[in-house]
Amino acid sequence: MTTDNSSNSPLIKVRGLCKAFTGIEALKNISVDIFQGDVAFIVGPSGSGKSTFLRCLNRLEEPTGGSIFFDGEDICDKTCNIDLHRQKMGMVFQQFNLFPHLTVMRNLTIGPMKLQNKTKEEAEAKADALLKRVGLSDRRDAYPNQLSGGQKQRIAICRSLCMNPEVMLFDEPTSALDPEMVGEVLNVMRELANEKMTMVVVTHEMGFAREVANRVFFMADGEILEENAPVAFFDHPQNERLRSFLRSVL
Amino acid sequence: MSDLVNSFYQNFIEKDRYQYLLDGLKNTLIVTFFAVLIGIAIGFILAIIRSTYDNTKKLKILNFFANVYLTVIRGTPVVLQLLITYFVIFASVNISKLLVAIIAFGINSGAYVAEIIRSGINSIDRGQFEAGRSLGFSYAQTMIYFILPQALKNVLPALGNEFVVLLKETSVAGYIALQDLTKGADIIRSQTYSAFMPLVMAAAIYLVMVIAFDYLIKRLERRLRSSDH
Ligand SMILES: Nc1ncnc2c1ncn2[C@@H]1O[C@H](COP(=O)(O)OP(=O)(O)O)[C@@H](O)[C@H]1O
Ligand SMILES: [Mg+2]
Repeated sequence: MTTDNSSNSPLIKVRGLCKAFTGIEALKNISVDIFQGDVAFIVGPSGSGKSTFLRCLNRLEEPTGGSIFFDGEDICDKTCNIDLHRQKMGMVFQQFNLFPHLTVMRNLTIGPMKLQNKTKEEAEAKADALLKRVGLSDRRDAYPNQLSGGQKQRIAICRSLCMNPEVMLFDEPTSALDPEMVGEVLNVMRELANEKMTMVVVTHEMGFAREVANRVFFMADGEILEENAPVAFFDHPQNERLRSFLRSVL
Repeated sequence: MSDLVNSFYQNFIEKDRYQYLLDGLKNTLIVTFFAVLIGIAIGFILAIIRSTYDNTKKLKILNFFANVYLTVIRGTPVVLQLLITYFVIFASVNISKLLVAIIAFGINSGAYVAEIIRSGINSIDRGQFEAGRSLGFSYAQTMIYFILPQALKNVLPALGNEFVVLLKETSVAGYIALQDLTKGADIIRSQTYSAFMPLVMAAAIYLVMVIAFDYLIKRLERRLRSSDH
């Protein structure tokens, strides 16, 4: 599945992105365009900067250099209202990070109600529709600690979707799950991709990347060493480090 | 046995001496109650300043003064803080002793409450903060909706304990001749020359209040826990 987006302007335009922690350059001069409808997967060895890259996109990490344009606006600019942009960039974490003191329903509605002035009825209608889609309507009044890992992650995805984001960022969404629960989360993500949701996904699920992605990136040592459509990426890797990485994981 | 009854009569009934205890108890409760309110207010503000500085390096100057305050208050005896408040700070002002005690104990308590709340904030997983921010909540909103509710729940026992400590600490209010429960008992002792009955009675009243308060806190804790399985 490849798409030609070159005529559109990118939804996210990253130019010369750098991030240094004390003693380590986690990102070295990264430039990428993410287009509307892209399902971009990022793979690479642990510690290569995948999470840091994703977290720079919504400025959970403060970049130390370069610029990130989202909807044409430089979100690294100090005058931009990052909170508004974050509403349009859903993020799903490895550890779910649901709010344990709130019910599932409240987890889903607090954002739209407090930040987007939705009424309780509007927010709950949207939340109920999403819960139905992921098959968790019966858990709407449960607290997060009463849910399995797979259920928590599906709720976490719904929580982001409730904000009507333009892009969804996933940081190893299935890495903390027992194997039998991985599938239920991947199914939800697959559906999202089919609906042309723009997604940037960090994962170790190579089979899933190959199946769902339209673009796959290989990161190592804070750099993107290769980008390609999934079939070419996995069947004809060019970069030597990517070849040895794929040999070690497949 | 009749000795005890006699002593009880002499210390509490005769000349309505129980009034010393009642008035004292009233003052002790007033000072504790309002000092607790001030302590919570100060503690909250300081904890937020310190956590904000730790997380974002903002509020640098406020954080500096917060640290000075915490160091001084926690590093000096509360009796001296009370005496200094009364005889130095408010020396030339005509102000009720009750108010001085409320201010002094409130300021004292604020330092301890601040540390308790800060430890509660620190106990919350960083992912909670990131989840709030990633949805688009501001720093303050994330604190209010997600971090503080969980933090306060975690530190409820420690806060309860702080208020028990405060209730008992107000017993030094007699140093500025404020007639609290302890001072009331001591006045009776000085009139009847019997120490056992008034002092033990005052101690028993403190004890009952502390036990009752502990019970209330435990119940509240259970209630809060039941909403968080
Ligand atoms: N908060 C941080 N402070 C210091 N170093 C960090 C921090 N976060 C990540 N790093 C370092 O940056 C590098 C990239 O980390 P990360 O983006 O988490 O890699 P990945 O997600 O690909 O496993 C690693 O060397 C990691 O140790
Ligand atoms: Mg990572």
